[in-house]
Amino acid sequence: MIERLGAWRRRGVLAGLAAGAASLAAPSILRAAPSGKPVRVGGTLSLTGFLAQTAAVHKIAADIMVEEINGRNGFLGRPVEYVLLDDQSKPEMARSLYEKLITVDKVDLIQGPYATAPILAAMGVAQRYGKVMIQSSMGIPKLQTYDRAFPATPFGPEPDKTYPNVILDAMASIPTPPKTMVVLTSKFPSAQFMAKGMQKEAEGRGVKVLLYLEYESGNHDFGAIAARVKEANPDFLWVGSLGLESNLLLEALRKLDYVPKNHFHLYPAPGPLALSPDGNRALCSTFIEADEPFMSRPGMKRIAAEYKERATKINLPYTTLDAQACGMVSEWQILEAGVNGADSLDDAKIAAWLKAHTVETLLGKQRFNGPYNHGDAGQMIKQVQNKEWKVVWPKEFAAPGVKLLAS
Amino acid sequence: MNAARDLPRLAAALAIGAFALLPTAGLPAFYDSFFYLVFFWVSLSTSWALLSGFAGYFSLGHAAFFGVGLYTTAVLAAKFDVPFLLTLPAAAILPALLAVVIGAIVFRLRRLRGELFALLTLAVTFVIATVVLNTPIDGGGGIFMSAVPLPSLMATPTGTLYLLAFVICVSTLAIAWKVSRSRLGMGLFAIHDDEDVAEAKGVPTFRYKLTAFALSAGIAGIVGGVHAMFVGFITVAGTFELTVPLYVVLMSVLGGSRSWFGPAIGATVITTLLYSFSSGDQAMIGRAVVGFILIAAILWLPDGAVPAIAKWLKPRRAASVRTGADVAPAATPARSIGDRNMLEVRGVTKRFGGLLALGGVDLDVREGEIVGLVGPNGSGKTTLINVISGHYPLSGGTIALDGVQIGALPAHDIAHRGVARTYQIPRPFANMTALENVVAAATFGGPVRKPAEIRDEALHWMAFTGLSGKEDVLPAGLNLHERKFLELARALAARPKLLLLDEVLSGLNPAEVDNAIRLVRAIRAQGATIVFVEHLMRAVVELSDRVAVLNEGKLFALGAPREVMRDPRVVSIYLGKAYAA
Repeated sequence: MIERLGAWRRRGVLAGLAAGAASLAAPSILRAAPSGKPVRVGGTLSLTGFLAQTAAVHKIAADIMVEEINGRNGFLGRPVEYVLLDDQSKPEMARSLYEKLITVDKVDLIQGPYATAPILAAMGVAQRYGKVMIQSSMGIPKLQTYDRAFPATPFGPEPDKTYPNVILDAMASIPTPPKTMVVLTSKFPSAQFMAKGMQKEAEGRGVKVLLYLEYESGNHDFGAIAARVKEANPDFLWVGSLGLESNLLLEALRKLDYVPKNHFHLYPAPGPLALSPDGNRALCSTFIEADEPFMSRPGMKRIAAEYKERATKINLPYTTLDAQACGMVSEWQILEAGVNGADSLDDAKIAAWLKAHTVETLLGKQRFNGPYNHGDAGQMIKQVQNKEWKVVWPKEFAAPGVKLLAS
Repeated sequence: MNAARDLPRLAAALAIGAFALLPTAGLPAFYDSFFYLVFFWVSLSTSWALLSGFAGYFSLGHAAFFGVGLYTTAVLAAKFDVPFLLTLPAAAILPALLAVVIGAIVFRLRRLRGELFALLTLAVTFVIATVVLNTPIDGGGGIFMSAVPLPSLMATPTGTLYLLAFVICVSTLAIAWKVSRSRLGMGLFAIHDDEDVAEAKGVPTFRYKLTAFALSAGIAGIVGGVHAMFVGFITVAGTFELTVPLYVVLMSVLGGSRSWFGPAIGATVITTLLYSFSSGDQAMIGRAVVGFILIAAILWLPDGAVPAIAKWLKPRRAASVRTGADVAPAATPARSIGDRNMLEVRGVTKRFGGLLALGGVDLDVREGEIVGLVGPNGSGKTTLINVISGHYPLSGGTIALDGVQIGALPAHDIAHRGVARTYQIPRPFANMTALENVVAAATFGGPVRKPAEIRDEALHWMAFTGLSGKEDVLPAGLNLHERKFLELARALAARPKLLLLDEVLSGLNPAEVDNAIRLVRAIRAQGATIVFVEHLMRAVVELSDRVAVLNEGKLFALGAPREVMRDPRVVSIYLGKAYAA
């Protein structure tokens, strides 16, 4: 999976890492304030509509990053201006607003929107105008077919293969590794994509999948599904859930006096699941948490503190810097590294630089020279322990004293 | 005069030409994209209004037909490599067929009107979404359209989609315009106001509703087909969501859903507003402003912006286009009663569950005769009128009009064959002017004539009933006496062989009753055969050639008025005392 880098690339990697790390670590006071005509970076977020809650997280992160970048040297010494539009959670609006940003507002650069459908709608526009587009939330990398589209979250090119193995590795490490499992998934494209991969990889590793069930996205009634899970009584329950679906499923299981032995949840609402009476020891996907060793990454403490303050101010239900917010931070870090590295606002040069270099982001070192411009997969497993999310796998990313707890 | 008439057409032609060439004008591509979405919403909201605005069948299921069209194109193009343009006819036909199937079931059931129809169409959306989600049509993974080649109709892909959306939009508006001015449109408007009356006046309501539903669904489908390419990644959740029905309703209500152009105005205003507040700092403000405008529009422009503007302009225009309504009633000499039966009622039975409303009524009415139908309340008089006019299906027996069996025919067919009726409580089409009410009755109830002839005849009957000068007044602006006479004018405009009058004199003052009696005599003088239900004995005696008394759903007595009124049996069951001549 991990491609071997050539010597010429190694130098680029080192240069990129150095540039990224230096920009994150250096106090802004040491740098001249950016001046001149602003560099306008356009993008949309779903500030209204059904994705608005997530967009609020992304907007805080983006605002923090624009201030961070302007506190350093801006882009090429010029201040950065974020031209943010509301795509109303609709892909057709995303498409037309990116047309507006590029052809009317004439922004210098763009950032991607949130969620697969708006991203794909915007990607077509970016492609027609040759713009670099960095996005952090498209869970099906193979759909990212545009040469200048880059991921800010390290899904890797085949998360349907890599991610299941991360959780299976974790499960294999517990005293009684699961021999049977149940796969449930929402019929949400990216969740279903991962669920099918999970089923295949599990069977490939000799774990018997007793039951594979799909339910409609946004389902509220898990009674019948819970009964079938209880009847199957698997060693491991994998749920391709979104939002509050996991809370509802676990509640339905409790009503049947059944507690799953080990249970994983793909994209749940982090706060409600951590605080749920049923959420103890729930496992989940992540790329980062506001804990060690991640807090030691350059800029992490400052950004986490700033994020908490702003999220609290606008009454977000979950105010801890999480993987969602870090995805947006990573977007800006990659764009900043690309601009500085290419020493240009030219999209072709930025894209070429990014493909040849590795960028240090809050989500770790990222490269873009693999299939679909993806690099190494960086998925991890976190677990609810005492109402808090703790990274438990791979072990080297677990905080001191934290370990995976089997049920 | 001609220039004034041609000016709107010239302006429309220029606008169409200008918009058609917009992608070649060198404007930023965003405008192609923006206008694409304007055309998209104009087409969708206008297509919704064809059924829901014109006919009043409020649908919350427009996303179903839009979604079927969208998935038709997506599946054919992305999974079967059918060229994109070739998928579009299928994207229109499939939803139209679906609408015909649904309509063929739903429109037969009277109880599925109003909110039940809205809920049913919403349920259809969920059913279709479930089918699409749980079959290989989608299966939950979505359909990515990037590999589908878009034909180069214009220089850019966005320009091509713009052009397709524009053509569909112009076609949709042309269809809506044509329908609104056609016999179909008039029928749909009548259905909107009172479907039962529309049917009784000769509107083939089932066929018209089905046609409107199919047109509405077909347009929504082809809009969806093009939109599949615009969006690029198709998911069930994004397609069958409530946004489509919600927006088309709001747009149509804002612009005026009974107007062919109203939804277009609403769609343009709302789409533009949504874009005007797309800045990240104004997102919530934008939503609030749109919401406020809609609330204000609903409060102060309940019929929508376009009808409000038309109403504001009307007094000036009316002064210039009004033509004379001074067609005097023809002084037709009185005709004698013919020998043949115009109406033959044989053993007519009508049951409502366990209630026997009519229990084997026999009644003949000769050509040119006036038969008064009397009886105590609940005796079956109005029920008999309703079964003769086809409003209620027969439970048993036969009814023949001029020798032709009509008992099993639908009401509109009976109206075509020459039966017209009035209602005890006037039921005019509330959103049509008095003249439009009479024109509609003449159009659907009478023989086929040219529109100008129909209008002249309608004016004639309005003058005949003393309603000259009230042509442009809505029924709400008429008093009871005038509304009763409007009922008569509508019935007469259909040139009926048989006129059924249901308590046309009730509620009138003595002077108005005298006037009405004179009018009925004048109608009879023109040769009409009349059956009338009446409680006012003076009128019954003065007008009737014969009187039929109904009691407990059966014919109790039949004969000359004065003889029947003096029949002690009749007196005992109905009058309570002998009528003194």
